[in-house]
Amino acid sequence: MSIAYWRERNRYYRILGSKCKECSAEFFPPVYKCRKCNSEKLAEQEMPKEGKVMAYTLSRDIITGFEDQEPMIIGLIELQNGVKMVAQIADASADQLAVGDKVKAVFRRVSVNGEAGQIFYGYKFVKIDK
Amino acid sequence: MKKVLIAGASLTKVGDHWNKSLLDLAVEAGSAALKDAGIAIPDQIVVGNMFSGFSSLQENLGAIIADSLMLQGTPALKVESSGASGAMACNVADSIIRSGQANSVLVIGVEKMRDMEPNDAVHAASLGESASFTQFFGISQTAMCALLTHLYMQEFEISRDELSVFPVIAHKNAVPAEHAQFRKAITITDVSRSMPVSDPLRLLDCAPVGDGAAAVVLCSENGQTKNAEAEISASAASTDSLNFFQRDDMFDFTATRRALAKALAFAGLSIKDIDFAEINDSYSSVAALSVEALGFSKRGEGVRDAKEGKFDLNGKIPISTFGGLKGRGNPIGATGVYQIVEAYRQLTGTAGANQVKNAKTGLLHNMGGIDSSAAVHILRRVG
Ligand SMILES: [Zn+2]
Repeated sequence: MSIAYWRERNRYYRILGSKCKECSAEFFPPVYKCRKCNSEKLAEQEMPKEGKVMAYTLSRDIITGFEDQEPMIIGLIELQNGVKMVAQIADASADQLAVGDKVKAVFRRVSVNGEAGQIFYGYKFVKIDK
Repeated sequence: MKKVLIAGASLTKVGDHWNKSLLDLAVEAGSAALKDAGIAIPDQIVVGNMFSGFSSLQENLGAIIADSLMLQGTPALKVESSGASGAMACNVADSIIRSGQANSVLVIGVEKMRDMEPNDAVHAASLGESASFTQFFGISQTAMCALLTHLYMQEFEISRDELSVFPVIAHKNAVPAEHAQFRKAITITDVSRSMPVSDPLRLLDCAPVGDGAAAVVLCSENGQTKNAEAEISASAASTDSLNFFQRDDMFDFTATRRALAKALAFAGLSIKDIDFAEINDSYSSVAALSVEALGFSKRGEGVRDAKEGKFDLNGKIPISTFGGLKGRGNPIGATGVYQIVEAYRQLTGTAGANQVKNAKTGLLHNMGGIDSSAAVHILRRVG
């Protein structure tokens, strides 16, 4: 897990995805081939950090290692460039959220590896107050 | 082209097998299917299983099961495609027979879920989603499915209670089924009052956690020891993007639709020829999207058709005839093989109280992930 985490750190810290050099389409998670035009000519591309909530759920269906975060709000978020991603929505209760709410990415603790005590960090989203 | 006949079948009850291991269950079902077929030594063994390495620290399932059945020397392997592992094991066996490489294949689907702690079982069931971008963030497959369910309800103006028609049908059919995990009828109110899991999905919207194994012996005409009563007319599979939200149309189970088209074309049949269907009703919303992708309902109308009785045991297209994933239970990698055994019972008139009248042609639908993998089988009565 630690090596995989280190390898993916820029994906988790900066929401680093891909951009097609042929058709300019952007993707997150990163892709091996453009999902629009099939090109293999891809560049790394940081995603915009703001978007809106398309759907959200208050989940009690919890994977080992995330017990202390139950229940978690998981959202489907459409970023400003149209890329859709699923992520945790932090600092809110479900009744404070609505479809269409604007959210921004923040850098947070994702989980703690029980045995080694290593902390994994990554993106979560929070509501933007108007 | 060679025919693929069903020579024998067996299954264990689905549920909490505290006293039986993964291997115990696989050997029990496999041994009984071989006896039922009257075949001592199959040419090949194919095992359908999703996460034995995670749940039971056991891989090399082909060899350990062959060894336990005293079939050392028989080639054996495991096939994994998340929730579609069982159907994909049958798909591989079907290809091996049609190619002429083997005249008899023992297919065993097995999953052991109850050796795991509940949160590990959630993780196991989510292993088919992205390790880096879904599991890493603690997002379960059920949570992903809940998001799709919200969007589906919103798009087609379907209420939470309307979705409940699918688990109600499943549980009703499970009542007389001896091998089913939950032999108890439920109401729409029971579903809406059950524990919230990941809204809008509640406990009774979701297929349960359970152990089980099912097995069939598939044969060519040269391999049978008695006149087979049913055949696999078609076995087809397809895939789609892992993330449902990256699809052009989130409400079209494209992998399912493609597998269906291939299966119908191969069998030379149309959807109107289907007498009953075992569908992948792992969640209420997935059941609705499945009957729509399979062409039994128009887009967005799966729930309405279900409410009108189309999918009841005595309806136009009975589904989940022994309870489906929701009522019979969903020992994940075994489920596709359970469907084959159940359809075999329907086609041979041995389904008891669950019998669909004049069942000649059955369709089986098994899914991995949220339709990232899909397999469709068409089974027919012989003669
Ligand atoms: Zn492109």
